[in-house]
Amino acid sequence: MAKVKPAPLPPDTMIGGYRVLRKVAAGGFGVVYLAVDSTGQQVAIKEYLPASLTTRVPGALAPEVPPEKLSLYRLGLKSFFEEGRALAQISHPSVVTVMNFFRENETVYMVMNYLEGASLQDFIVTARDLKQAKVFRESTIRSLFDEILRGLRIVHQHKMLHLDIKPANIFITDDNKSVLIDFGAAREVLSKDPNFVRPMYTPGFAAPEMYRRDAAMGPWTDIYAIGACIYACMQGYPPNEAPQRLEKDRITIALRRLRGVYSDNLIEVVEWCMSLDPLSRPQSVFALQKELSREGERHYTKLSAVEKVRLQFDTMVTDNKKNGQKAAVVSGRDK
Amino acid sequence: MKFSVFQVSRKGGREINEDRMGYCYTRGAGIFFLTDGMGGHPQGEVAAQLTLQVMAAMFQEEARPVLADVALFLTSAVTAAHRQILRYAIERNMLDAPRTTVVAAVIQDGLVSWIHCGDSRLYLVRQGELLTRTRDHSFAEHRQLGAGKPNLSERNNRHLLFTCLGSPSRPMYEVSGPVALQQGDRLLLCSDGLWSGLSDIDITYHLSQKPVSQSVPDLVESALCRAGGSSDNVTALALEWETPDNFLVSRTSTSTVQGGWNQPVQVELDDAAIDRSIEEINATIRRSVGR
Repeated sequence: MAKVKPAPLPPDTMIGGYRVLRKVAAGGFGVVYLAVDSTGQQVAIKEYLPASLTTRVPGALAPEVPPEKLSLYRLGLKSFFEEGRALAQISHPSVVTVMNFFRENETVYMVMNYLEGASLQDFIVTARDLKQAKVFRESTIRSLFDEILRGLRIVHQHKMLHLDIKPANIFITDDNKSVLIDFGAAREVLSKDPNFVRPMYTPGFAAPEMYRRDAAMGPWTDIYAIGACIYACMQGYPPNEAPQRLEKDRITIALRRLRGVYSDNLIEVVEWCMSLDPLSRPQSVFALQKELSREGERHYTKLSAVEKVRLQFDTMVTDNKKNGQKAAVVSGRDK
Repeated sequence: MKFSVFQVSRKGGREINEDRMGYCYTRGAGIFFLTDGMGGHPQGEVAAQLTLQVMAAMFQEEARPVLADVALFLTSAVTAAHRQILRYAIERNMLDAPRTTVVAAVIQDGLVSWIHCGDSRLYLVRQGELLTRTRDHSFAEHRQLGAGKPNLSERNNRHLLFTCLGSPSRPMYEVSGPVALQQGDRLLLCSDGLWSGLSDIDITYHLSQKPVSQSVPDLVESALCRAGGSSDNVTALALEWETPDNFLVSRTSTSTVQGGWNQPVQVELDDAAIDRSIEEINATIRRSVGR
């Protein structure tokens, strides 16, 4: 039976001295509202309201938690606090700022600065629909990720991992700043908490070690996601999922298509970040920053005629596989 | 399990003793700990005491009679102690939190595992030889190991620690072991007051030559003598592993655990804990904004 999601707070509800204007987002953890404080300043308020553990009828304030789910609810609250703790320590323009934390309506609220703009995801979708060779200009990509990496470096310095970096969690403000948002999956690197729960992951951006129980996660795990984000900015689409890559890795072929469009260096950086072996990736944000900010002439290696032909075959094979037609005819070439 | 244990703590030339030590045990597991409250910050002895209390309370709670996961217990106990210190500071509106080092060892099923943060050490001696000891989280020791190379003057910063419990940044700690104990093995936990005056060779020699009831007082005395009138607090706790049998303690001395700031220890996330977490986060926000 499909469960009814807990209802968001109606507009004009007062919580912790803030007035709710409207719901702006919802996820498994709860709801984000746009609200204003007593001075009229806009803020974003994240309400702890796990959809699977709580119910709330429209118009009610306090969520109801069935007694059998109370311990899980409290456990989730710990993760919510972890997110708050993580963000509270960090004060950086490229990391979303937590301004306040309060308890009301028998749940907990996190107040953050409200950002106006759109996510990188929105920008990618808009840009790719223009159907040009380049989704983003290379200089745009470099300066965008330079900003994001500055923020991520601070996060790692606080011994935290973001663990859910993806274009939807990179926010571009209307005054052209890029900000890392949604630390709902963030974890202490050293956390051996008995209640440590593996975070949810986003296919395409999650490193292979996120799929395994025993693997060590570290800065390299976030760096894989950064590589995948740059890839998405170049291709307009997310890369293949890690488990799929482990079976048959098409990243190199996919990136070859971009030769001549983006510099060899940028393509190599993406491949480096997205190495399946965590040890083959840049081990720290600093190492990546150094490579990404490298000044100097960009080299472009154009595809040779033979390579172009090969890529075309490749596309045919992929397309046929997708359509499930004529696969047998060309499968011999699909080495 | 059978072992003998002996512990001594001396104030040295200092006004107060900021070192703490102690142990507790069940039928199947034992924990031994030593903390050294740090100078240069307020109430080091409180941080040392709180750490001991939190870890002992958690041990008593979770060792029934053995711990489900020793390494996990050690890390969560140290983290809990760190948070308790921060809470103590926040509740009293202290500008600077008390700080402490910690070294703690758990023996269970004939295996020893230990955790440390800072420069309180653990030595494991077998058949007259130093099997292993902890590496301090100090710039001096890390330079020796060729790890980090911060450009600091050797003289002034030999003892400068880069991590401890109670500092605003998350503490770094190391869990080591488990090591299977053999009959006659000696385990020593000590504060820097002890090891800074003695070489590893001295310590190994004393430990392996005599029963712990003699070697511990001897080691503490020689450390005090070497340091003279300005000696730091000197604290040592040593145990000798005897035939794995029943869990019997053949010899003890009184623990230096003292009352004064006893607080209920928080393990579960109840209403009060939720409020404290929120207060903690808001305090961190205020600090971050102030920077």
